[in-house]
This record gives sequence, structure tokens and C-alpha cells, in this order.
Amino acid sequence: MDSEYLLGVFGDEETLLAAFRKMKEQEIEIEDVFTPYPVHEILEKQGRKSRITIVGWFYGFFATIGVLAFLIYTAVIDWPLNYGGKPSNAFPSFLVITIILTIFSITILSLFTFSWRANLWPSQEKPIYHDGATDDKFVILVNKEKADTGMAASVMKETGAIEVIEK
Amino acid sequence: MYNTEVRGPLVLGNKSLAQITTDITAPVYARPKFWWIVGLGISSILMLLGFWSIYVTISQGIGTWGVNNTVGWGWAIINFVWWIGIGHAGTAFSIFLLILRQEWRSSINRAAEAMTVVAVGCAAIFPALHMGRIWDFFFIFPYPNTRGPLWVNYNSPLFWDFIAISAYLLISASFWFLGMIPDFATIRDNTTSKVKKAVYGFFAMGWRGSVGEWKRYEGLSYILGGIAAVLVVSVHSIVSTDFAVSVEPGWHTTIFPPYFVVGAIFSGFAMVMTLMIILRKIYKLEDYVTNSHLDKVAKILIFVSLIMGTAYLTEIFLAWYSGNEYEIFTFFHNRITGEFTRQFWIMFVCNAIIPQLMWFKKIRSNLTVVFIISILINVGMWFERFNIVITSLAKDYLPSAWASYTPTFVEIAMYLGTIGIFGFGVLLFMKYIPMVAIHEVKDVNRYQLKKK
Repeated sequence: MDSEYLLGVFGDEETLLAAFRKMKEQEIEIEDVFTPYPVHEILEKQGRKSRITIVGWFYGFFATIGVLAFLIYTAVIDWPLNYGGKPSNAFPSFLVITIILTIFSITILSLFTFSWRANLWPSQEKPIYHDGATDDKFVILVNKEKADTGMAASVMKETGAIEVIEK
Repeated sequence: MYNTEVRGPLVLGNKSLAQITTDITAPVYARPKFWWIVGLGISSILMLLGFWSIYVTISQGIGTWGVNNTVGWGWAIINFVWWIGIGHAGTAFSIFLLILRQEWRSSINRAAEAMTVVAVGCAAIFPALHMGRIWDFFFIFPYPNTRGPLWVNYNSPLFWDFIAISAYLLISASFWFLGMIPDFATIRDNTTSKVKKAVYGFFAMGWRGSVGEWKRYEGLSYILGGIAAVLVVSVHSIVSTDFAVSVEPGWHTTIFPPYFVVGAIFSGFAMVMTLMIILRKIYKLEDYVTNSHLDKVAKILIFVSLIMGTAYLTEIFLAWYSGNEYEIFTFFHNRITGEFTRQFWIMFVCNAIIPQLMWFKKIRSNLTVVFIISILINVGMWFERFNIVITSLAKDYLPSAWASYTPTFVEIAMYLGTIGIFGFGVLLFMKYIPMVAIHEVKDVNRYQLKKK
């Protein structure tokens, strides 16, 4: 069977980072890295950017305006009611609902954004390259078409990979 | 990251990564134990009792409760506030401590969040039924309708409450679920059972731990953590405005929002303590939820108990200092002495005095005593709500309208029912979901491995 990928499996973070640094140095392209917990050096240097925090800010911004506008439209413009002589545009008490619903909107919208951008939704069929990557193994994935596999394999072995698999 | 040497290791026993996985996921693979099935049976019976009382309340009306024109809020509101208070622990734990970078939170936050979700669900039952005609529940949503369109009153704390509680339930549930995704993937990849692989695989949603996933996961955690921190304070502040904006003696005070928030965190942490002592014992998680974890929670309880005591004394002082005869009557002749003396002093002793025993290291490290104290705190917190709700309503400005209140069996059954729901939910959680956040513990553990 033709194998497309080369997998370097590491037993701990140090050896993984050593291999990762060396491969970056030698400009071997890494397709992806799978780890059981976030390893920050890799998250920073792998070159992928996440704009989810920025997007979250905009969700909040628009939600605030949206909720306030809705409250003012319904309570002041559409059907103003006199509650014991209080002003219909009771701005301070609108703020409570605005804050809560803004938080609510940010949560729901960024969850969906996360699900969409990180490609996570129920009954996903994504290839799982190595079962141990969610347990105690750290896996570097190299695409054979994009990188020199011979060099990659030798770097992996040199830095202490437990095994190098072709898949 | 701070040096853990000062505080001692967070995970004991020099665990390897694989060991952490097997230790924590063991209950998921093991067959249910006898006590677990018994527990599930007892909570199911309580739950059925609760469903019966809900049925009676809906089919016959609020008249089956002991509430009357004077005491319009009875056990239902007491229990509502009590459950919401307990539910505060999850957010306080996972979010306040996340923002404060307290790494020791990661062994406890999963269980605390599970508790939150179940407790808030229990709480929501009471006000919904207290509305009376629950089939008209949708009137509370602001939607274009044929009644005008008549919109809801945005100035009413009762409406704020509805928004706050439903948002809180959804947000804490999503935060909880988000944290579980990588752990579900761990079970999916480790299990040999096909059913488990399919079910946990469904909820893991294709998680593989890739760079893109972790990066967005962390980003989302920060967003949710940052904004949900507001909820820790806001939800119970809003609950307190249900009381504070009405002109009742003993309710109409500015101290209410912080007083309620602190009370909520107090009862929540006490419940976490109760549950964690049981959990770590049964599932042998002593290496993850260490004595030093419980010691920290105990210290927080001491501190919060001091704030509670201060709040009680502030209320009493201000009632006296204001010179207002109704306030003085409520606090001095209706709570400290008078018809409700017992309830007042149970509250005061359980919340402000008994937790102070934990200043002594000997008492704090004796888990049996700590367990009893943590239960007494929740008893005390229940009586605090009793004090607030019942005493003020029973005897307000007009002596001719004074009345007393005794709960009926329907109300008691509903309370027992929510305890059943809580027990049921927690038992299911213990069996089917990793009780400790596996990936977070691995993350914390690596600093210790590095130092070796």
C-alpha cells in the first residue's frame, strides 16, 4: 500500500521539542503535531494562527449593540408601558440584560466558530494517525509529498523517537 | 509558571502520562459497583417523589403548597436560592481560579462544573413551577406576539433572573463540555469496546490533539473564561435583587448583592468539599485530589466564613443604627429573638462560627471533621435563605397581616426530588465522564516531571 505520511512517535515532550526544533532548523515541512496536552512552543512556532479571540471581541461588540437596540425598540419605541411612572427608557436596568445576553451570545457564537474552524462536530470521520496521541504519545506528522522523508526520518530517530512509522 | 516547590506537588506519586490516563478513566471501564447501583436506586426513588410533587403542583396548583397571601414565597424560593448557591462552585472554581492562574484547580474543576450544571438545573425547577401556570411559561420570552405585541418588563429583577439563570445554565454547560472534548477523545482512542468507541467518539467530535485544535481550544477557553468570570458575580447579584428591590424589612438593603455572592461561593465550595472527599476516597484519586488541595479549599472556606459573619453583623448593626423600627423589629425581635430564633442561630453558628474551627491545622487535616463541617455549612446556608425569605415575609409592616408558614408534603417532596436529581446526575457523572480533567492534569504534571 502506498503510504502518504511519515509519523514520528515520541514518548515525552523534551524529545518531541528537540525533533521539532531540529526539523524547523533544517526546514523540513511539518504537516501537523498531535499532543495529549497543549505544548506552547509548538503552538507558537507551527505557524498556524487562530483569530478566535479577535472574532470573539467582535461578537461581543455586535451583541451589545444588538441587545440594546432590541430592548430600546421593544420597550421605548414599539410599545412603551408605564410601570409606576418610571421612564420607559430605563437605561441602567437595561444594562443588566445587555451584559448577560452579550456574554451568552459570545459563548454560543464562538462555540460554533470553534466547531467550524477547528473542524470538530459530532460523528466526524477524521483520520486518526496514532491512537496514543490522546494518551501519552507525541506525534509529528510529515507529508511525503511536501518534505524529504529520508531526512525527516533520520532527524526523528536521532532525537529519540520511539518509532517512525509510514502510513 | 510558578515554582510548585513552595506549595508541594499538585499530583503525587510521579505519575507517567499513561498512568494518569488509566487512573482517571478506570471507573469508565469498570463495571458499576454495588453501592453505585444502590445510590442510583435511592436517587431514582427521590426523583420519582419529586416528579409526583411536580405533577400535583401542575395539576392542582400552588394551593397544594403551604404558601399563603402573607408568606408568598416558601420552600420553593429557599431551595431555588440554595441550589443556585451550590451551583456557583463550578464557575468560581474553573473560572476565577483559571484567571488567577491557580494551577491546583485542575484536579477539581471538572467535578465542580458537573455539580454546577446539575445544581442549576435543579434550581430552575422551582421558579418555573412557582409561576403557577407553567404552560404559559413562554410568555416570559420577549417575542413578537398577538398580545399587543406586549413585551416583557425589562425593569423587573424577576425577568433579569430568568435571563441570568438560563444563560448561566447554558454557558456553564458549554464550558464544561468544551473541557471534556479532549478527554472523550482519550477514551475513544483507548477503549476496546465498540459501543464506547462510537459513543465517546461522537462526543469527542473528531478531536485529535492537533496544533490547530489546541490553539483554537485555548483561545476559546480564554474567551469563555474571561467573560464567564462576570457570571460568578452577576448571577447571584441578580438573584439578590429579587429581594433587594422589594420594600420588605430585612430585604431592602444595599449589602444584598455581595452578601448573596459570597454566600453562594461559600455553599458551593462546601459542596465541592463534601463531594471531593467522597470521590477521592471511593475512586482512590488521592494522588490527584491531594490533602493539600482540600487544605486550600478549607482555607478558602475559613476566609469566606469570616466574610459571612461580617455580613450578618453588618446587617444587624445597620438595622440598629438606622433607628428604623421595622428593621429593628425584624432583626432583633423576629430573628435574634422571637418566633424564628432557632433558624437564625442555626444559620449563625453553622456559617460564621463552626467553620472557624478550621483555623486549627489538626481539625483542617482531619477529613471526617472537615466533611461534617462542610455539610453543616450547607445546612446553615439553607437556614440563611429560610431566614431571609420567611422571617421578613411572615411579619412585615402590618401586624394584622402577619401569618406563619409550614411547608406541605408536596413542597418537601419537591425538595427531596431535586436532591434525587442532583444525586442521580452526580452518580452518572462519576461513572461515565472522567472525573478529573485528564489533559489539564497532564499539563500540570509535566512541570514536576521536568524538574526530576
